Amino acid sequence: MSYTIVVNGVQRSADVDGETPLLWVLRDTLDLKGTKFGCGAAQCGACTVHMDGHPTRACQTPIASVGDGRITTIEAIGESSIGRALQEAWIEHDVPQCGYCQAGQIMTAAHLLSQTPKPTDADINEAMSGNLCRCATYTRIRAAIKTAAGKA
Amino acid sequence: MIRFVFAVAFAVVAAATPALAAGDTPPVSRGEYLARAGDCVACHSAPGGQAFAGGLRMATPLGVITTTNITPDAETGIGEYSLEDFERAMRRGIAKDGHHLYPAMPYPSYAKLTDADIAALYAYFMREVAPVHQANAPSEMPRLLRQRWPLSIWNALFAPQAGFTPDPTKDASWNRGAYLVEGPGHCGACHTARGWAWQEKALDWHSAAFLAGANLDDWSASNLRRNVATGLGAWSKADIVTFLKTGHNQHATAYGSMSDVIGNSTPYLSDEDLGAIASFLVSLPATHDETAFQYDAASAQALLAGKAEAPGAKVYSAACQSCHLATGAGAPPFMPKLAGNPTVLDPDPASLINVVLNGAAPLLAKGRPDAYRMPQLRQQLNDRQIADVVSFIRGAWGNHAGAVAVEDVAALRARTSPSSDRVVLLRMH
Amino acid sequence: MLARRNFLKASLAASGGLLLTTSFPSARAATLGKAAAEDVALNAYIDIAPSGRVTITAKNPEIGQGVKIMLPMLIAEELDVSWDDVVITQADLDTRYPEQSAGGSQATPRNWLPMRRVGAAGRQMLMAAAAAEWGVPASECGTRPGEVLHAASGRSLSYGTLAAKAAALPVPGLDSVKLKDPKDFRIIGKPTRNIEVPRIVTGQPMFGIDVSVPGMLYAVFQKCDVHGGRLVRSNVAEIRKLPGVRAAFEVKGGRDLRGLLDGVAVVAESWWQANRARQQLDIVWDEGDITGQSSVAFAATAAELAKGKPADILRRDGDVAQGFAKAAHVVEAAYSYPFLSHIDLEPQNCTAHFADGRIEIWAPTQNPAPGSALVSRTLGIPETAIKVHMVRAGGGFGRRLSNDYMVEAAWISKVVGAPVKLVWTREDDMRHDLYRPAGYHHFKAGVDASGRLVAFSDHFVTFREGDAIANSADMPAVEFPARLVENLEYGVSMMRLRAPTGPLRAPRSNGLGFAFQGFLDELAHAAGRDPVAFARDLLGAPRLLPDPPGPRQGPGFDTGRMRGVIDLVAEKSGWGKTALPKGTGMGLAYYFSHLGYFAEVVQASVSPAGEITVDKVWVAGDIGSQIINPLNAENQAQGAALDGIGTALGHGLTIEAGKIVQGNFDTVLPLRMRQAPPVEVHFNVTNHPPTGLGEPALPPAIPALVNAIFAATGKRIRSLPIKDIDLSASA
Ligand code: FES
Ligand code: FES
Repeated sequence: MSYTIVVNGVQRSADVDGETPLLWVLRDTLDLKGTKFGCGAAQCGACTVHMDGHPTRACQTPIASVGDGRITTIEAIGESSIGRALQEAWIEHDVPQCGYCQAGQIMTAAHLLSQTPKPTDADINEAMSGNLCRCATYTRIRAAIKTAAGKA
Repeated sequence: MIRFVFAVAFAVVAAATPALAAGDTPPVSRGEYLARAGDCVACHSAPGGQAFAGGLRMATPLGVITTTNITPDAETGIGEYSLEDFERAMRRGIAKDGHHLYPAMPYPSYAKLTDADIAALYAYFMREVAPVHQANAPSEMPRLLRQRWPLSIWNALFAPQAGFTPDPTKDASWNRGAYLVEGPGHCGACHTARGWAWQEKALDWHSAAFLAGANLDDWSASNLRRNVATGLGAWSKADIVTFLKTGHNQHATAYGSMSDVIGNSTPYLSDEDLGAIASFLVSLPATHDETAFQYDAASAQALLAGKAEAPGAKVYSAACQSCHLATGAGAPPFMPKLAGNPTVLDPDPASLINVVLNGAAPLLAKGRPDAYRMPQLRQQLNDRQIADVVSFIRGAWGNHAGAVAVEDVAALRARTSPSSDRVVLLRMH
Repeated sequence: MLARRNFLKASLAASGGLLLTTSFPSARAATLGKAAAEDVALNAYIDIAPSGRVTITAKNPEIGQGVKIMLPMLIAEELDVSWDDVVITQADLDTRYPEQSAGGSQATPRNWLPMRRVGAAGRQMLMAAAAAEWGVPASECGTRPGEVLHAASGRSLSYGTLAAKAAALPVPGLDSVKLKDPKDFRIIGKPTRNIEVPRIVTGQPMFGIDVSVPGMLYAVFQKCDVHGGRLVRSNVAEIRKLPGVRAAFEVKGGRDLRGLLDGVAVVAESWWQANRARQQLDIVWDEGDITGQSSVAFAATAAELAKGKPADILRRDGDVAQGFAKAAHVVEAAYSYPFLSHIDLEPQNCTAHFADGRIEIWAPTQNPAPGSALVSRTLGIPETAIKVHMVRAGGGFGRRLSNDYMVEAAWISKVVGAPVKLVWTREDDMRHDLYRPAGYHHFKAGVDASGRLVAFSDHFVTFREGDAIANSADMPAVEFPARLVENLEYGVSMMRLRAPTGPLRAPRSNGLGFAFQGFLDELAHAAGRDPVAFARDLLGAPRLLPDPPGPRQGPGFDTGRMRGVIDLVAEKSGWGKTALPKGTGMGLAYYFSHLGYFAEVVQASVSPAGEITVDKVWVAGDIGSQIINPLNAENQAQGAALDGIGTALGHGLTIEAGKIVQGNFDTVLPLRMRQAPPVEVHFNVTNHPPTGLGEPALPPAIPALVNAIFAATGKRIRSLPIKDIDLSASA
């Protein structure tokens, strides 16, 4: 079955089974590989994208359920001032180690800053605890979010 | 005379017996079809073990029963059973050697099977099931019940051994549905409440207690009557058929022991039979008036704005929202909706707590697991957090079920264990 | 800078229509790239463009440890170029480069001098070329970044102009080149940003799982959950009929648990289709003998074995029985730790393309050379027909030292005759790992009336695989506090294990550190001593305790360096000087591993309901005379310490009937943001060769945490993970 979804402002089509998670449609059909597969079970946040501005686990989003929800991925988050400030702060703080989780971290952080422009540690803990970083770069993620909060 | 009653019943039921699933290769025998309808394999096989060789440990309020080998192995199975022996076990719960079976075997339901169906099942087990040499394990029952004579008293009290009586005022499909539900399907074994002696409070549609929902094994088997909120009152016949075929529909998803039924039984029934079951179920009146579910957008708005302050709402956004969504709408049939889901609205929160604690085993429909799975949260959330989130879910989006207590979660945690994410195939070959 | 910006723009534009209109803030870091055609190669590592841009090849696999920037920093320093002019390119597996692996915190000690010499040799060749140009002795020439200078005449020539001439000159002997005085370092020791971050934060395809080859199909591989189980039969013929499936076949593997095993491969047009089809597999396995293969049985057997004498004595000093007899306090305790999976966030994967007897492989591997050998053996093709590209890995932690996923991808591609990307699920990854072995320690020790440790014994129950001790399941005879206690005995007994084991970040030390340092803290308290004072006394005067000769002889143990980091961490954490509220405590632990000396203090609080908050971690390390990249060093040390905290709190696997029970992050709980404390990192710079940092900060974090929980609650944690222990006041 063919599904047409809006990804990063562009209409894209995918001829896949309706159960297929958005994650694999993005990665393998639409060749947007920034969104990562970590657990496939809503446990790690590596696959976080935005649907209508809200962080969403692409691995748990059947393509059939996307409808006209507007998807934003890490590839385009820099088009928003918050996303861009986060990317810059990530570079400034040299956050990543392996880097695999970081797309998801930034997507979640972007939503946090859109809701809470000046987050406290407690806000960050609450918002970011769905995103695992196996390399445990948490100290720097926290610092980078605060830096970006000052700039976005 | 039971025989006599059956003979009468058979005429109607046989007339309603549909053509067996067309196109299946090789064609399924009538006996195999009935074994599917009765889901014999679910209890008479251990995960990873051979089909029908028994060995499943079943917890009952009185102790652990280990199910028996019903393959035609002469020594360890039922190979030496005559048709009469088989009939006696099926309908009256008496084994060949004369001992009484525990009523975990739903012989009070199977008493309704027609002679022809008993014979077909017998033929299936004797000729089509391969013998497996696997000795039965002793059951771990209290001393009193290890002597099985009290069971004959139980039988006298609770197993009427009445056959199925068709209702001539209803059409053939309804009668077929009633037969399947009350007889081979033994739906009441889980969905009808049990009395003081573990007997089902009703064995047929005449009683309002029949299929009115029951707590069994720390799951609350739903009300299957027309209760508009907690039962199937909002379900169309097509919804019921979809559910039985796939394990989910727009309203709900199977979990707990219903997963076994989906895994091995109902998806293998013919469309006519599923339609018949639906016809029958939609005829069962509600046990009482209920307020119909009315969606209320306030919870969703609060969650989306990050303004839901209740502790349960915070747990929900962290642990549940990514699949079931801020709207509680889920993505049926893949992720169940929580808004208006009968399991959520059930006055008994056991199923909801259980599935949050322990997750759901992969649901198989005709050998194909579902694409998405409920993870277990027992390690990530403590009793307080689970009580909070379950209470939140039961009160959000217009749901109007009561809050749950920390103690209830703690008790369920202590009694239950997590479901495995591994797919368990119990193949009937 | 221009080159860097152009690169960024180009790479973003190519990938998805996004063009950044401004550049990222100056990261003052080198960029990525490939040497252009006109660039001149000075040696296997250095290419110089006429513009002066220098392309440096990073030879080792990058798994998040920062080696892709660290090794080029060493070269660039001695070559004397401006870091802004450096472009870094990743090497393939290539016989021109030695030791292309990532593990054991070995990159620094093994490359510190060789990589600097590579750079210095390049600089020497450029100076020789300039000297010839000017007709002056090379000894009169010097350099400043990117240029050779002749101070006497004031002349200078850029590296870009000299490169072609320099490349024609003989390569100087690497042992004879002159290295910079560390006080002149401009790059080494400067906080230097990771060049790949701009690509990471914009989601560019750069990990193994992102590899894409034209015509590629997707594969999954189902093995037996009992490791090494044999395939009897399957319904693979039915699987072939499922949507999108292009091939499905049984694989008969070998007996090597780290190689190709029995299984069923499903290849489809998309990964999702392949995995969905695989979920309908019905396989009959011959699981083999799984008797006793469960965590419960292992614990029971270990307890039983501990009652008897150890099967082997690892070490015996003095007479422990006499030591116990004269001790004022004798303490006994059993410690245990569970099997662990590495849980790299990027599940194992590999892309392989077999065609015409040759195979090209893209693998996120820590150890490509044995992978290539394994593929050669298994497929029966010469290694010369194998090309391995090392792709950035989303975490390693030792998992990717094995190459099972590589040989699986290679085999599947060969059978299918098309390029294939194999991706494991999380469950595959957790259930087919090379596990950190569980371990069971039965300690007994005595302290005398003055609080001195006079006798110490450990009966260690561990695992064997076949007849040999399981990988990473051994214990060194010099394990601390050996050599410091006059009466000491280490004994070992073994149990048979079917699951494969392997190194996990700080192998051995990650378990031994917990057990020994937890028990030593018990001893300090039994002796009525402050743990810091107890440690100082135990270590005694600064001296080197040499390792006994033998194949595993190490550099010995320097009591002074250990005391140095203990003193530093005590000072920084305010040890003994901070008044802590009830329910809050500080714990100390110290450990030497992978050539690094680390002492850590954890402050933790435990609520009456038993909820743990790790308030803060202080890390003090001694890894020698030079921190090559302080920015990354801090990140690695923080990550390692938090890895220890997370492991202690939430990781642990159990085996039942030969199978790993856990499969995903709902049952193994990695550290999350809300649990992650701030980590303060301090280094003692000492006059020793620089050593590595990926691992040694991990081991002390675990015992420091359990010792802090003891200080907070009076409850000893002697088994992990802590999530399985009830710490509520009522427990
Ligand atoms: S891959 Fe979606 S949450 Fe882990
Ligand atoms: S940087 Fe490796 S998982 Fe986060």
